[in-house]
Amino acid sequence: MNITRTYLAILLLAGGYVMPAWADPTGLEVMQAADAREDGDDLRQTMRQTLIDRNGNTRERVMVSFRKDEGKDKKMITFFLKPANIQDTALLTYDYDDPEKDDDQWLYLPALKKVRRIAASDRGDYFMGTDFTFEDMKQSPELTDYHWRLLGSATVAGHDCWKVEGTPASDDIAHELGYSRMIQYVSKDTDIAIRVDYWDLAGRELKHLKVTAMKKIQGIWSPLRIEMKNVQSQHSTIITFSDQHYNSGLSNRLFTQRNLKRGYRE
Amino acid sequence: MTILFERIARHPWLVLLFVVLATAGFVSQLPKLTMETNLERMLPEGMDAHINYLKLEKLFGTSNMVVIGIENNGADGIYNPHTLALVEELTHWLQTRKEFRSLALADLMSLSTIKDIRGTADGMDVERFMPHAFSKPEDIAHLRQRLMDNGLYMGSIVSEDGKGTLIVVRPARNMAGHYHEIYELLKEKIADIEQRGGEERILITGRPVIEGVFSIYMPDSMKKMQPLVLALLAVLLFISFRNLRGVCIPLTVVILSELWMMGTMAATGIPMFTVTSMLPILILAVGIADSVHLITHIRVEAARDTSLDRQTAIVRGMQAMWAPILMTSLTTAAGFLAMLTSDILPMRYFGVFAAIGIAYAFIITILFIPAIEAVLPHREQAMHKLAFNGYLNWMSRTVVERPRRVLMLFAVVLLVSGYGLTQIQVNSSLVSEFRPSDPLRHADEVLNAHFAGTNALDIMIDSGKQDGVLEPAFLQGMQSLQQLVEADPLVGDSASVAEFLAEMNKVMHEGKQRFKTVPESSQLAAQYMLLYSFSGAPDDFDSFVTSDYRQAHVRIQMKTDSSAEAASLLHKLEAKLADWFPGATVEFAGTAYTTHRFSDLIIKGQIQSLLLALTAIFILCFMMFRRWSDALLAIMPVSLSVIVIYGIMGLIGLPLEIGTAITGAMALGIGVDFAIHYLYRYREYQAQGMTHADIVQHSNHDTGRALLFNALVVIGGFLVLLTAPLYPQVKLGALVAGSMAVCYLASTWLFPIVLQRSSRHARP
Repeated sequence: MNITRTYLAILLLAGGYVMPAWADPTGLEVMQAADAREDGDDLRQTMRQTLIDRNGNTRERVMVSFRKDEGKDKKMITFFLKPANIQDTALLTYDYDDPEKDDDQWLYLPALKKVRRIAASDRGDYFMGTDFTFEDMKQSPELTDYHWRLLGSATVAGHDCWKVEGTPASDDIAHELGYSRMIQYVSKDTDIAIRVDYWDLAGRELKHLKVTAMKKIQGIWSPLRIEMKNVQSQHSTIITFSDQHYNSGLSNRLFTQRNLKRGYRE
Repeated sequence: MTILFERIARHPWLVLLFVVLATAGFVSQLPKLTMETNLERMLPEGMDAHINYLKLEKLFGTSNMVVIGIENNGADGIYNPHTLALVEELTHWLQTRKEFRSLALADLMSLSTIKDIRGTADGMDVERFMPHAFSKPEDIAHLRQRLMDNGLYMGSIVSEDGKGTLIVVRPARNMAGHYHEIYELLKEKIADIEQRGGEERILITGRPVIEGVFSIYMPDSMKKMQPLVLALLAVLLFISFRNLRGVCIPLTVVILSELWMMGTMAATGIPMFTVTSMLPILILAVGIADSVHLITHIRVEAARDTSLDRQTAIVRGMQAMWAPILMTSLTTAAGFLAMLTSDILPMRYFGVFAAIGIAYAFIITILFIPAIEAVLPHREQAMHKLAFNGYLNWMSRTVVERPRRVLMLFAVVLLVSGYGLTQIQVNSSLVSEFRPSDPLRHADEVLNAHFAGTNALDIMIDSGKQDGVLEPAFLQGMQSLQQLVEADPLVGDSASVAEFLAEMNKVMHEGKQRFKTVPESSQLAAQYMLLYSFSGAPDDFDSFVTSDYRQAHVRIQMKTDSSAEAASLLHKLEAKLADWFPGATVEFAGTAYTTHRFSDLIIKGQIQSLLLALTAIFILCFMMFRRWSDALLAIMPVSLSVIVIYGIMGLIGLPLEIGTAITGAMALGIGVDFAIHYLYRYREYQAQGMTHADIVQHSNHDTGRALLFNALVVIGGFLVLLTAPLYPQVKLGALVAGSMAVCYLASTWLFPIVLQRSSRHARP
């Protein structure tokens, strides 16, 4: 048994060596490229979230958010502008690359006039009432969580894409993230996954993510409009991004609890 | 008519051929017959409970949950690694099954999915109580402590005594009408688990399961009862007629009637409902009356004058009997057709198909019996060998010589029943339709005793404006509502977004108990909701508040599905709603409300159809006897039997519900037969100039004998249902048998006395 496996592994490796340079990348390679995509050292942008429930009711939130990379860790601060009853609410997040270390989050509630620390969420939890889980919000999934397999090429909304299938590396991961399978369509020119389909644990189609607009800003490909539709609950979320400013040298002082309380000033 | 009977007697084979061909035609349709098991389909389209149910499903998702209970009576209860691993295993398994929803927290609640809102030194933490099945003793002890401190899930997910825990899961939308499959699936999974061993006992209940199992169980057990009913009918027929022919002919008639009726149902494409599944047995027992009367009469004619040839005896029997048989078939059919006034679709089908079945029974009786009697070899049977002579003679003597005693006895019965009638209650409960030994009822009772309750009463409150739910006054209203309902011992738990907000308010104020109140401003409430969405899943609230915070849902869990309990709780609530939610629209839904409204409909329909049936039968009787007084007399015994039956129900505390409501109109239709037969015969003899004593003696020996056979057979046939596994069948059996007994006794004992007295007054 072991011998067979070793033999197979050698064969595969050998295959890799003899493959010509123009051969298709592996699924993992496509995802690695997407993960390593340039996104600037810091970013300020305005986000508009539209939540649409299955009855067509919409709910909108507008926020301005700042991100700064510190090595592989990220700091983020988000100020809520609309609706009025959550205006001046602000969220500060320290997102650590080390998977062993939980993220730190603080929230300022103006009605209480207090900053409160809130515990990190599970990665499979939904984010702020949207159809995105915390994990979905990331540029790409944690690469080691899935086995990646290239299914070929496909054209999505006019973009030539790699079609990559991800299956959870273990049952525990599947339950933690809530998916039994996903297919990523990664644009060959921009390395942005412009469409992702998700399947739930029972193998039913669950969600569709689509990047419906993107633009090169300061030399960086930036999504302008992302749509996530839950095909089971018919609930969907549209997030639009605007006023992006990359690499403007945001100060560390911006990402403090003190500033959280002070609020956002134009 | 006489010509028809002569033709039948002369060409019996032709008639038999026709019957065989027609039967083949109906039987060929039978494979098309379908079943409808979705109880929601029973509700009339425009009914508020139905509309509200659809609205609830649309806005918040149904509260009709499948409940799996895990019980461990060991020293640590469920707080041991094995049981916790089992909870996780089952939860994960449910997440991978297409039969269930598990999208939101409210779709699938178990120890593995529920979340704790907890205050920390400098903030708040929302996390799953048990992110993975714990195995370390300190983790398990900590879990128990946290569940206790949090309190929200005490009673709803874990029992106070620590011996049980629930997994509550919402069936997938497309499973409506297939809920019994969920039960089968769960039973299979649980059998697998139990085979592995362990101290746990796993129980399944919940509304969808109960409805699903009930709607499959009922037709199924009806099918199983059928051979029993047939066997008993055979025995009773043999006792009455003392030969094989007297057994086989009536049985053939009713079996053919049943096949024709079911064939018609199949051909029209109307599915079989739980209620209509009682039709076959009904036709067996009711359709037999015509043939019993006809055969008795042909016998009596033959025995009276042994010189008659076979054909003449048949024709004479037919001549004497066709009119009363037609009449009784018409009145019986009218009794059933009165059910058309019901708002409940299956009740209407029940009435129509029962009437069709009765019409078939009449046609088959009138064609098949003379034909088969003409074909079969003639056998002598002397009058004295006919059964029950002793009883019939004693009855004739008593009625003529001691009328006062008989009258007194009936007067007492009437008085007692009249009192019982005032005690009658309206209540329906699906769970109590199962026998106490049934595993499903047992599971439901155990889980209701230890947990919050498996029956939902849902209240939807529309504040009328966006963010209206977050207003402190509105939230306070929901809290007051919850306090009121939770004071009711039959309410196990209630939940709303107000409860969560109060919990968050406490947590955000260093866990101080005095802050366990609704947020003081709508801004704070909105910020708490946002706060929660950063660490808990926001769809956790999907089932309690709409995303525009305009409409809220308060879910109340009741320990009983009794409609009377729901009615009294609703009554208490309705008085206060305007104070709590001024200007808001409040609507009810859920099992408890549906049952309550359904129960109302049944009672309304019941009274209407009883009155209609009585009127129709009265008019039919007038058309037959041409005298208002006779028509009035004819409906007297059935009216008496209805009073007695409902009186007894009142006395023994058997409530009115869908099963028992059918009985009223049914009893009217079937029971009036006795009076018509007796009255018809009595008037006939009277026209021949006989004295009262002679008429009684003669009527009792021909019609009276047939009535006795008829009563014995019908009562016996229905009494078999007492052994049925579900109570609606038992109740149907007991009530129809009881009302038949009353009708029979009133028609043969009381009737002649009243007839004599009324005749004396009318024609001195």
